[in-house]
Amino acid sequence: MVTVIEASGLTKQFGNTTAVDNVTLSVPQGALFGLLGPNGSGKTTMIKMLTGQIRPTTGMATVLGLDVVNDPVGVRKLVGIIPEQETPPSFLSAMEYLAFVGAVRKIPDIEEKAAWWFSFLEFEDKRDVLCKDLSRGTRQKLMFAQAFLHKPVLALIDEPLINFDPIMQRKVKGYLADYVKSGGTIFISTHILEIAEEICSGFAILHNGKLLYSGAISELSGKKQHLSEFFFSQVQI
Amino acid sequence: MGFELFTSMMKEEWRLHSTVFGSISFALFPVLIFGIVFMSSFLLPLFRAVLPAGDLALVTIGVFLLLGVMVGGFGLLGNEVMNRRFGQMSLLAYSARSLPLSERYIFTTFIIKDIVYYLFLWVLPFVLGFAVASPFIGVPAMLPLLLFVSLTMTFLFGLSAIFFLSTVYSRSKPALLVIFAAVVVMAGWAFLSYGTRLGDLFPPLQLLRNATWISFFLSCILVIIPFVVSVLIFKPEYSGTSKRFINLLTPLTRKLSFFPTPPLAAKDLIDLWRSGGGIGQVLFSFLLPLGLIWFFLSVLKSLVPDYAILLVFAVTTGIISATMYTWITSFDTFSSYACLPVSVSTLITSKICTFTLLQVIPAVFIVIVTIITGMVQYLIPAMVLWGAVSLYALSVSIYLTGLTPNILVYDVRVLIAFLFLIGVPVMVVIALSFINPYFGIAALFLGIPAYGLVRKGYTRWEAKDMASF
Repeated sequence: MVTVIEASGLTKQFGNTTAVDNVTLSVPQGALFGLLGPNGSGKTTMIKMLTGQIRPTTGMATVLGLDVVNDPVGVRKLVGIIPEQETPPSFLSAMEYLAFVGAVRKIPDIEEKAAWWFSFLEFEDKRDVLCKDLSRGTRQKLMFAQAFLHKPVLALIDEPLINFDPIMQRKVKGYLADYVKSGGTIFISTHILEIAEEICSGFAILHNGKLLYSGAISELSGKKQHLSEFFFSQVQI
Repeated sequence: MGFELFTSMMKEEWRLHSTVFGSISFALFPVLIFGIVFMSSFLLPLFRAVLPAGDLALVTIGVFLLLGVMVGGFGLLGNEVMNRRFGQMSLLAYSARSLPLSERYIFTTFIIKDIVYYLFLWVLPFVLGFAVASPFIGVPAMLPLLLFVSLTMTFLFGLSAIFFLSTVYSRSKPALLVIFAAVVVMAGWAFLSYGTRLGDLFPPLQLLRNATWISFFLSCILVIIPFVVSVLIFKPEYSGTSKRFINLLTPLTRKLSFFPTPPLAAKDLIDLWRSGGGIGQVLFSFLLPLGLIWFFLSVLKSLVPDYAILLVFAVTTGIISATMYTWITSFDTFSSYACLPVSVSTLITSKICTFTLLQVIPAVFIVIVTIITGMVQYLIPAMVLWGAVSLYALSVSIYLTGLTPNILVYDVRVLIAFLFLIGVPVMVVIALSFINPYFGIAALFLGIPAYGLVRKGYTRWEAKDMASF
């Protein structure tokens, strides 16, 4: 089985705080993998390290075969990323932002592709509005579109559905499922267990920076256990 | 409730500054001002030998006027800047929707907070430095007190004038133009009719030169009227508007195809334009400081040759031009690029390209000044001095601050390093220009350390974790 993410002994310290503590993890190609954990457990730091935005204090990680420390730009070229806080540039309109991403990533026919995303995520009426004037939900739609604009083989998403209404959540979950079926891999971080149980094939639990468990969702159904029960038994709350 | 809001705003301002610049670095800033003024006060007898006391007062007043204008200007843009720097956050000044307080009330408290905060940060350390030195340099005992009142009034006028102008701007742009035109007409009338510079009529300056109750009263009026009017005509502006913008990015990216990363440069220019930076920045961050500097330099006319004033002005323009780097980084953070295949060094390179494009403004400015002053024969050394100093100062900013040049303002350690790295070579090129104007062309050699600093800056900032999402 081909692995797309391989982390070994990954640790990140901010001063005296250890945000991620010696995490070893692998994610196979074609998985919809959920990194679960309470707030402040180190999920976002983990994604930042895997996308080369911050350097691990110790340990190493490869994403699609590229070392995240030595070639962070190479990693970001191949993957799609949706940050937890949606931060498209303030003074570009939604259309301009997608054109900007298209130009940086050298994506052909950007107008057509952007038009498809505006239509699919139902925000065509906001295409010419400045990002700073968009609602949080619309900003997240825009960030979702930019992450998949270049059809990456792997997408890393931090809290994917948090600002979407139930209708949009269903639509996006459907998109992610189809994406994985067509050979893509998704790595999501979330603290909403219901979402993870519904869409993920594999998962890992992070708590206080430590990896408590990593395995397949199917293992839980074999034990007739819900993800939430299993999660609470692991984090012992 | 009012006092709680005020103290919360004070804490917020302090925490914002100390988060950005570091608690110790920021806390040392007033100490640095105190130290500089204390030591400079001992040079006062020397200054007086070459400069009339009245002109020295004018220079000091001018600096604090500029400070008031800059603090007021930042207060108005602060929320947007801070959102870019810290992600989605909200300052108390913009919290009328979540607190049971009116916009006007919050705005008034915000201004009072700015006044108190910056008085402690700038005005008091300045006056205390002078006051402590005053027994040793034989100035009248009342002078430090007069200086305090006069500088406070000047700073407050700068603040209240910028609030007034911005509220007028939000109501009616033509009205703002009428006000500017009226000031120009008044200045011309005062000069042509009485041979008096408008600055000399500025009440806080008169208060410092020749303290009377009338000048004190007039100074108070000058501060209070614009302040009251701006509170009365204040009109809050909410984001969330549905204003639409046509796609400028795609055509601009095509036009900038000669740059290494055209979309990044196009984005910078659009940010600058749409943030209101285009005209506002040129006016308040470029023309206004240079106008004041030209005025101060013209005081030295009787002491040095005309060409020397022009060349020193070109060097100063170079340093001020380098601050254009902050124009293209203020509304930007690495988080905007964190999900894209863009490295920090690529971003810095792109900012350098945009910066180079913006240098058209000072280039035209230097040409105009050279023509107006009738010193076209010195155009080449003036242009070389300006261009070389500007690029060198940019390289120092990049090396010291990476993509966050605003840190220069209050991080004492960075500021001292900046002043040292700029000051030494600038003194050398100015000295050479004084010997012979064409020796100033030697400033071209600044290109060598500039190149080295930028390369080192790439390595330095590439190795750091950038603040992102």
